[in-house]
Amino acid sequence: MATTSASMRLISSSTLISQGAEAKVYKGYLTPSGSAVLLKYRFKKTYRHPSLDTTLTKARVAGEARALLKCLRSGVNVPGIRMVDASEGLLGIEWIEGKSVKYLLPSGADDGDGEGEVPVESPSQTLEHFGISVDTLMNLIGIEIAKMHLADIIHGDLTTSNMMVRDPASFTSLDPKVPTELVLIDFGLSYHSTLVEDKAVDLYVLERAFASTHPDSEPMFAGMLAAYEKQVGKEWSALRRRLDEVRLRGRKRSMVG
Amino acid sequence: MESLHFPQFDPQISQVSIALFTKVSNAGALKLRIIAAATAEGQAGDVEREAVNFAFIDARLITSKLHLETAVCQALLAASQDALRTRTVHSEVLYNLNPTHNITEAIRRYGVSDANTDVIVVRIDSPELTPEAVLKKMEAVVVGTLSPFSDLENITDWASIKKYHKLNGELAITEAAKDPQKEHAVIDKIVTSSVAMKSVMS
Amino acid sequence: MLDSAKNNRQDLVLDSMPILQQTLQQTRSPLTNPECPVLALGLEGSANKLGAGVIRHNPDGSSTVLSNVRHTYITPPGEGFQPRDTALHHREWAFEVIKSSLASAYIVMSDLDCICYTKGPGMGAPLQSIALIARTLSLLHNKPLVGVNHCVGHIEMGREITGAKNPVVLYVSGGNTQVIAYSRQCYRIFGETLDIAVGNCLDRFARILTLSNNPSPGYNIEQEAKRGARLIPLPYTTKGMDVSLSGILSAIEVFTQDKRYRPNGKPQSSEDKDIITPADLCFSLQETVFAMLVEITERAMAHIGSKEVLIVGGVGCNERLQDMMGIMAQERGGQVFATDERFCIDNGIMIAQAGLLSFRMGSTTPIAKSTCTQRFRTDQVNVSWRA
Repeated sequence: MATTSASMRLISSSTLISQGAEAKVYKGYLTPSGSAVLLKYRFKKTYRHPSLDTTLTKARVAGEARALLKCLRSGVNVPGIRMVDASEGLLGIEWIEGKSVKYLLPSGADDGDGEGEVPVESPSQTLEHFGISVDTLMNLIGIEIAKMHLADIIHGDLTTSNMMVRDPASFTSLDPKVPTELVLIDFGLSYHSTLVEDKAVDLYVLERAFASTHPDSEPMFAGMLAAYEKQVGKEWSALRRRLDEVRLRGRKRSMVG
Repeated sequence: MESLHFPQFDPQISQVSIALFTKVSNAGALKLRIIAAATAEGQAGDVEREAVNFAFIDARLITSKLHLETAVCQALLAASQDALRTRTVHSEVLYNLNPTHNITEAIRRYGVSDANTDVIVVRIDSPELTPEAVLKKMEAVVVGTLSPFSDLENITDWASIKKYHKLNGELAITEAAKDPQKEHAVIDKIVTSSVAMKSVMS
Repeated sequence: MLDSAKNNRQDLVLDSMPILQQTLQQTRSPLTNPECPVLALGLEGSANKLGAGVIRHNPDGSSTVLSNVRHTYITPPGEGFQPRDTALHHREWAFEVIKSSLASAYIVMSDLDCICYTKGPGMGAPLQSIALIARTLSLLHNKPLVGVNHCVGHIEMGREITGAKNPVVLYVSGGNTQVIAYSRQCYRIFGETLDIAVGNCLDRFARILTLSNNPSPGYNIEQEAKRGARLIPLPYTTKGMDVSLSGILSAIEVFTQDKRYRPNGKPQSSEDKDIITPADLCFSLQETVFAMLVEITERAMAHIGSKEVLIVGGVGCNERLQDMMGIMAQERGGQVFATDERFCIDNGIMIAQAGLLSFRMGSTTPIAKSTCTQRFRTDQVNVSWRA
C-alpha cells in the first residue's frame, strides 16, 4: 500500500469514536509506546469542487489548530496539539481522559443519542468521583469561557458536551482546592472576534444548550455567568446588556422578504 | 536510549532512537565535524556523513520527551510527503523545534555548539538498524555520559525557551508564574503544541 | 455542529430533544380529512411573479392541483425590478391571471371555500396590490380570507408535491436563504443568511454581466456556468449554520475588472491562455455559494438527526444545487426532495395549499386584519396543522 499516505494509515489503525457532519473522530496512537491522541479527520466532501474542498479543509484544520494555540497561550484549558497534517485534513490533539459536562449533569429525558452507551453510575455519584460540586463545576466553566473570550476567541458551538472534566484518577492537579480541570474542546467552528455581539451570542448558544439538555438549568447557568462576570472584569456591563438583547431577539435578526 | 516505532511511516523512516548524553566534552568539535561532513567528497565523505547522520540537539531547549517526539513526528510527516524544508529529516527536527521559519536560526539555536554539555541525539532509520547498532554509532561520535531521559528536568533552560517562543507576558505564563512546577507544565504544553502546528502557523 | 472532537459519544444537539419527540408523535396529525372536497384559490405576488392557483383537498386526504397560472414581470438585462413597477404589473395582470386560473380549473368563484393571499414577507407595493385584490374578491364573493406566510407556502407545497415527511428544508430564493426544520407547531430557522439572499446574490451578478432576465437571471447564470471550467477563489463564509453572501458578490465583481477577464468569453489570440470568462465566474459563484448552502444544510441534518432534505424556493430549481445536495444526502444515507420550476418558483398554488391547511384548522383572516407585511419570519407562524 505504498500509495496510502502516512495519515491515512494512522487513521486505519485507529478506533472510530464518532462521526459528525464534517469530521470523523478517532482514538489512536502516533507511536505504540506513546499516549493516546484524538484524531479529528475532516474527510473529503464529494459534493464540493475538489480544489475548493482541499483549500477549505486545509484552512479549517489550520484555523482550529491556531485557535487552540491561542487559547493555550492565553491560559485557557484546551487539549494540547499533537500533530497537524493539513493537506490530509487531519488534526491530532491530546486525548483527554474524563467525562463531558453533559454526562456529569443531570439530564432530562433520554434523548436517544447515547448510541447504546449505558451510564453505570448515576451522574451525581460521578460528579463526586470528580471531587467537585455542581457549583464548583459552574464556576470552572465560567472562568474558562471568560478566559477564552478575553483572548478574543469565539467558540461558535458552546454546549455542555463540548466541555470535559478531567478524571482525577489520571490527572495530577496543581490546584490543591480542585482535583480536576475543566477543558474546552471542539474548536471546529471557532473564530477570532473582538465584538461584544459575538461573545454574547456564544453565551446565548450555551444558555440554550443548558436549557434544552438539563432540567432546572437556570440556577446552574446563573452560577456560570457569575464566575464569568468575575473573570471577565470591566467588559461585563457591555456584555450583559448585549446578552439581554440577544435573548430578546433570539439571536436572529428580523427578516426582510 | 529509547526506541520509538512509527508504523504509519515507510520503513526507512519508521524507527526513531533518542538518547540523552550529559557531561558532553566534544560538542564544539562535533559541530565542526557535521559542517565538514556536509561538503566532504568521495567515499570518505559518505562514510563521514553516515558517522554524523543524527540530529544533535541542545538538550537545554527541550521541555519534555513529548516535545521532542512531536518535532520528530512532524519531521517524519514532512519526509513522507516529500515536503522537507531542510536537507535531511534530521535537520528537519531542529527546524520544527524553532518557532520561526528561519532555518539558519533553527540550526544555530537548537543544534550543538561549543557551550553544550547536554546533548540529545536522534536517529531516524529503518527497524533493520538495531538499537544496539544505533547506540554504538552514537557513542562513537559523542563523548559524554548516556543518561536517562528523566534527567532532562534538571537541564531544561526555561528562560531561553520562554524568550524564543515569546511567552513572556502571555497570560498563561503570568498566571502560573508563582508556581515553577505549574509554569513548566504550561510552557511544555504550549511549546509542544507550537511544534505540532508549525506547518500551519500563521 | 457534529463535526466535533468529542471524547464521549454523546453528541449533544442543541434543542434536539423536542424535535425527536415530535418525530415519534408524528403519526397523529391534528388535521382530519375533510368530509367533502374543499377548494382554495391562492394569490401570490410578493416579488416579480404574479401567480394564481386553485387546489382541492379531497376527503381521502389527497390533494389535487387544479390550476397554477403565473405571469412574470421581466425587466431588461442589467435591470432589477422596482417595487412600484412590479406592483403596477401585478395590478395590470391580476384579472387575466385569476380568470385563467379559475377557467383552467373549471370552477367559478362560488365553488371556492376560501381565498388565500400572501401576507408577507416580500416587497411592500406588490404585496399591497395582491392583498387589495384578495380583499376585494373576498367581499365581492363573500369568501373567507386566509393570509399566508410566503415561506410556509413554499415548504407546504414542497412537502405536498414530494411526499417528504419531516425534512430539513433549504429555502433559497431571491429574498430568502434559510435552513428550516419543524418543531412543535413552528418552522424553526436553524440557519440563514446574515446579509443578502442567495437569489439576490445570483440576480445581482447576472445584472453585472448583463445576462438576460428571461426566463430568470438565475436560470441564465446556471446555463452560463455549465460552460465554465476555471474555479476562481472566492470567500467561503459559513458561520455555524449561517452564511454570509455579500462579500462574495463584491469579490466576484472585482474579477470583472481583472486584466484576464474577457467579457465575450473568447481568448484574444492563440497565446491568450490565462483568461477568465463570464462562464468561469458563473461557475465559480455557483460552486462556492452552493457548497456553502449544502454545508449548512448538512450541519442542520446532523444536528437534528434527519436524513431527508427538501429544497424549495426559486433557486431550488437549479440542477447543480440539486445535484450537490443529492450527493450529500446520499452519503448520509438519506435523500433529497426537490421540485421543478412550476412549484419552486413563486406561484399561487403554494399559497392556496398552505392557506387551505390553515383554513381546515379553522383559522381565517378577518378583513380588518387582512394586512400585509414586508417582514414576516417563517418561525412566527403557528403551524397548527402538523403534529
